[in-house]
Amino acid sequence: MEGIFDEYALGVLDAVDLTALEAHLRVCEECSHEAQEARARMALVASAAPQVTPPPGVRERLLQQTALHAPKPEPAREGKTRFWGWGVPIFAAAAAILAIAVGILVSRNHQLEQQLRNLETAQQEVLAAQARETTTSMRARALLAILTSPGAVKVSLSAAQAHPAPQGKAIYDPQVGLIFYAANLPRLPVGQTYQLWLVPSQGKPISAGVFQTDNHGNGEVLLPSLPPGVAAKAFAVTIEPAGGKPQPTGRKVLIGAAST
Amino acid sequence: MPNIPKHAGAASSDSDLIARIRTGDEAALATLYDRYSRLVYSVASRVLREGSAAEEILQDIFYQLWRNPWQYDVSRGGLGAWLLVSARNRAIDRLRRNKPGDCARAEQMVSSGLNLESHAAQAELMSKVQAALSSLSSPQRETLELAYFEGMTHSEIAERTGEPLGTVKTRLRSAIQALRQVLNP
Repeated sequence: MEGIFDEYALGVLDAVDLTALEAHLRVCEECSHEAQEARARMALVASAAPQVTPPPGVRERLLQQTALHAPKPEPAREGKTRFWGWGVPIFAAAAAILAIAVGILVSRNHQLEQQLRNLETAQQEVLAAQARETTTSMRARALLAILTSPGAVKVSLSAAQAHPAPQGKAIYDPQVGLIFYAANLPRLPVGQTYQLWLVPSQGKPISAGVFQTDNHGNGEVLLPSLPPGVAAKAFAVTIEPAGGKPQPTGRKVLIGAAST
Repeated sequence: MPNIPKHAGAASSDSDLIARIRTGDEAALATLYDRYSRLVYSVASRVLREGSAAEEILQDIFYQLWRNPWQYDVSRGGLGAWLLVSARNRAIDRLRRNKPGDCARAEQMVSSGLNLESHAAQAELMSKVQAALSSLSSPQRETLELAYFEGMTHSEIAERTGEPLGTVKTRLRSAIQALRQVLNP
């Protein structure tokens, strides 16, 4: 499964797999690093090309070009900007407070209290951001666990009708969870929703959640709440009234059988 | 034209040369050009099968490195691989420019401990890769080359070759596995 980064680096993944992996790479530093190493590895397929020496004119033209324009200066880094962005007003405020303190003690107290409140607000914002980050990385780990699980079945769902050609992909491990992506689905009128169904080996379909599509017809259901350990016979998508139904009632737009 | 000797400072590391480029040292750029232009030009020529477009890509990649030497992160290593990735991406973007639905690939980050900093190191690594590629069956190699030099996806390769999608994926995985084995023994 680690070869998925090499396939990604080669650029061979089809749209649905690519969307799923890129969504993960945006939040997982470890896998981004893997992808960067895979890119370097796959770059060496260039060795298969006949090696040809460039004509000398290119070097000459390049050096004529470089003589005209110097390198651009180092761009300001975000971290640095943020530091000075916070730092300058705080230092300035502190200096102002000191100056005022010489003459007006009451005013100084007032300003210090205000600054303390500001710092407390900033601290709360940092804590909230940390909490959001933790949730994001837990979610990222869960997504990767499914993408790389050897026990996961991959189910391609194809169009029930030939035109247009919606498609879906479900990646499901009964012990870990479900990832589902759909593409090319038409936008539904208000009051309707797409609903994803897990069709178990035995028993009635289980709802795996409802979803809407974006402007490009893409939709997703990530880590829906499902009873654990249910083996899937198939996955299907139907159109249902807003909010979904306990059992499928509407037209089936996508269906795919699970094969292990 | 500035008079810059070929191979000036040939023993400098890539990161030293990038540091010098950041200060506006043209000789450092010329050294990097002499080090990597053949690799970059070869991959662009193979993708485009045409010399003048490959020359433009070669010149442009090194000019961009000159104008914006901060875009390459020295700490990640692998300047040679990064230049190859840029060359291939630009060439494939140009090759597929007229295909609807294709968008330009953004500059992609590369991280590598693989050393391509001398022509000897390049030759050694490339002969390893060539040996791995020659151990592949013809269909496996053809599949890998369609992916790499034509920028095709699994489905596009299946359509082009008339092979089932599963066969295409299996062939590519075998090819990737062979490469991994020689590069991470």
